Amino acid sequence: MKNAFSKKLVLWSLVWFSVITLSLPTIIVVGASFTAGDIIQFPPEGFSLRWYQKLWELEGFKQALGRTVYVSVICTLLALPVGTLAAIALARYRFCFANLIQVYLMLPFTIPLVVSGISMMIFFGEIRILGKLWPVGVALCLINIPFMIWSVTASINALDPELENASYNCGAPPVQTFFSVTLPSVMPGIITGALLMFILAFNEFLVSLFLTDSRTVTLPVQIYNSIRSVITPDLAAVSVLYIIIALVAIWLLDRLVGLEIFLRSK
Amino acid sequence: MTRKPIFLTSRRTVLKTGAAAAGMLAMPAILKAQDKPGEIIVRAWGGAWGDALREGVADPFTAATGINVRFDFTEDNEIKPKIWSAVDQGRVPPIHVNWDTTTNATISALRGVTVDLSDLSNLDGLLPLAKPAGLDGYPLVNTYAYVYVCAYRKEAFPDGPPKSWNVLIDPKFKGRIALYDDGIGFNPIAVLAGGGTLADIPDNMEPGYAFYRKVRDNNPLLGEDPDFTSWFQNGEIDVACTISVNAREAKQNGIDVEWTIPEEGCKVDTDGLWVPRGLPANEEHWAKEFVNFALSRDAQQKWCSLLGLPPVYPGLEPPADLVGDPAYPTTEADFARLISIPSPILVENQPIWFSRFNEIFQG
Amino acid sequence: MLLPGATRREFMKREQENRLPLSWKLLDGMERVVAFVWPSRFRHAVGWWFLLPALALVGILLIGLGYMVQYSLHELDISTYRLRADYSLANFATFLERPVYMRVLVRTLLASVIVTGVTMVLAFPYAYQLVRVRSAAMRKFLLIALFLPFFIGQVVRAYGWLIILGREGLVNGILGQFGIAPLNLLFNYPSVVFGLIQYMLPFAVLLIIPAVAAISEDVELASEGLGANWWATFRHVLLPMARPGLVGAGIVVFTLTMTDFAMPEIMGGGKNDFFASAIYDGFFQLSNPGLGAALSIILVVVGSVIVSGAFFLAGAASLKARGGG
Repeated sequence: MKNAFSKKLVLWSLVWFSVITLSLPTIIVVGASFTAGDIIQFPPEGFSLRWYQKLWELEGFKQALGRTVYVSVICTLLALPVGTLAAIALARYRFCFANLIQVYLMLPFTIPLVVSGISMMIFFGEIRILGKLWPVGVALCLINIPFMIWSVTASINALDPELENASYNCGAPPVQTFFSVTLPSVMPGIITGALLMFILAFNEFLVSLFLTDSRTVTLPVQIYNSIRSVITPDLAAVSVLYIIIALVAIWLLDRLVGLEIFLRSK
Repeated sequence: MTRKPIFLTSRRTVLKTGAAAAGMLAMPAILKAQDKPGEIIVRAWGGAWGDALREGVADPFTAATGINVRFDFTEDNEIKPKIWSAVDQGRVPPIHVNWDTTTNATISALRGVTVDLSDLSNLDGLLPLAKPAGLDGYPLVNTYAYVYVCAYRKEAFPDGPPKSWNVLIDPKFKGRIALYDDGIGFNPIAVLAGGGTLADIPDNMEPGYAFYRKVRDNNPLLGEDPDFTSWFQNGEIDVACTISVNAREAKQNGIDVEWTIPEEGCKVDTDGLWVPRGLPANEEHWAKEFVNFALSRDAQQKWCSLLGLPPVYPGLEPPADLVGDPAYPTTEADFARLISIPSPILVENQPIWFSRFNEIFQG
Repeated sequence: MLLPGATRREFMKREQENRLPLSWKLLDGMERVVAFVWPSRFRHAVGWWFLLPALALVGILLIGLGYMVQYSLHELDISTYRLRADYSLANFATFLERPVYMRVLVRTLLASVIVTGVTMVLAFPYAYQLVRVRSAAMRKFLLIALFLPFFIGQVVRAYGWLIILGREGLVNGILGQFGIAPLNLLFNYPSVVFGLIQYMLPFAVLLIIPAVAAISEDVELASEGLGANWWATFRHVLLPMARPGLVGAGIVVFTLTMTDFAMPEIMGGGKNDFFASAIYDGFFQLSNPGLGAALSIILVVVGSVIVSGAFFLAGAASLKARGGG
């Protein structure tokens, strides 16, 4: 009994510390967005929706939002096959220089985003695709692709290879085995990864900063640029928009596949 | 008594003439006028700065020409490599007009990415300040001057404004002082505050570095324009070296901020406009028209009085709240209290000062 | 009605095929296509084919690094603000000459170690409780608490902390009620580290969950049945079994912290820059792409060496072990 109690106490204290740390800025920002005053503060000064109204009227806000969705979708669609196949390859096949491949695939993380942004700006400019929107989606996929690979790999590591062998032994050819056994088993990893890719693309500002101009600016870049000029509560209002989108995404996910899918390994 | 009505009439007249002038300029190039672009993109600073450009220049320009003006709020340092790589790769640059610090604009001019503006009609009669120093012709044109003042919270200084920049090393304000994160606007002042003279700049900056080390020990905050505003708002700091525009904006927003020119003086600098190379001919033409428009009497009056800065157009009245303000220099005597470093010296030495500043403060 | 044997078999086969679901037929078709374009003697290369798209995608960065190497070997000519044509190692010499760069690098790496350590200590119990908690409502709450902050990005979250920890912020306001003088909670090294831990936590938990979920609860029960207390079970059973997930999450958190730009910029008050800021300053503030590129290469090399080291030490396990399978 004592054992179970101390376990509960320690684990739950850590978890609650995390929950509070994770949630506090969100709550504060939501509260601050309803301020009637001119500056971001908590507790807010009075209650009003004026900053939401201002946000909605903001020049180019809606287009920027649309572009952000567009690049995030491209990023996710590209990541799905690329990341899944790579993860399966890494987990199921033996390579010479396996560690080298791992280090290579970590380049998107080991290269600072500032550097990735500049070098892609130069490269995309050289091949004359800078200024279009879809390369931004490709770039966002590239800089976050390790997340996709990692989440799928984690699921595959949990998959018993004997299952696949059993499938072969029962006479299932390779493609069928892939679609009927391998893929469903790693689905939690694929869904986690796809969600991560979408969210990260939706929030990314540093690389996007170099690959967009004022005709193709995305929401995070617009937010970042406006933060650097004047910090007004419309920033908090944008954050609330992000929170609403998050809630919708979580709700959708829960309805479609069930949130529990994140907690399953097989 | 008569000043106001006269001013109003003349303003209206100028507006008409301005529109007519824009039309006339377009006349000789009927072909160009026909391919009027739907919009031009101007890189600008946000907040009060962008609002002033919108109201003072962009909106009247649209009214006169029918061309929309879109603002690009990319940071000045970040637009630089974007334009440079576009020009190097023979692509169309992402903006039509860059509103830039004179030092950064000069660097772009040295790199050869700017269009010559010598043929603009409104250049005649501007103050000598408009002409970029150390460059041939007008690869850029300066539009106004500004001062890096000593801004302070009145509440923290009951005995009146700080008299010397030594306030930054006063232990009383430990952790409650702020500078720009690269020391811009303060580098030459630090030399004077540290016991050096103007003659020491740029060859002997050591007194300035010594002063910086003392400032560092007083635990300053380092940031950019918006940081100063929020730090003053949130009561994080009592005194800062920042551009008067930011302090004035904070004050207009009801924050208890004042500014002063301490005995060592303050750095005065200029901003300018330039047009990148590589634009299609018609777009380049209208980008230059925008710059020309920004130099017209009416635009200068409105834009600069919104900013609270002295324009390069001669003989304009300062805004009512800045009459006699040392941060709005108009006379010889005003400028005598300020320290101006020629841009060639800044271009060559500012990167060195930035890295030394960084070295000291990241220690 | 008696059909000859062969015809009858033929008929039955056709009947059978007609009854097959459409998806099966599609699958059979794909099987044939794959077998045709990809004879079995090529099968040994299938891994490489799976890997190819990812290798190609990351190849874009390799091209970018090529530019950086090229830039880093040329010095800036301050009279034209272009890089000189002749090759030199001057930019790398600058890194060695200015102690500030080494200091910033050490500060960055130290923060990465601390952030990784603390994040893992917080993330593992979170992932564990998420997987094991009995109440469905609690599970959902924990998941939502994890996802929500995740969606609002680093910049905005940092601003939330500015409101909370500022001089006249929430915490100091509460302390003030008890007569405690305002504390400087912001714009120092610990606040940057704290902000980064908060930022990294969801990443880490999400990457650890699958590894924890793969561990059967029976294993724990067995361990406890054999007399191990929960701490021993954690240390000797759970953590080793979850190692692939932990190593992965650790590497992700470490590298993301090491290359982070926004958090030190916003919460560091300008005096706690990370190496990414030094790179940024090289490119933008000093307009010196040569120096910026040299610093980039140094950080990429340091990061890659550390990542390779981690793979070398834990890699065999992280790649080949089957988690809890």
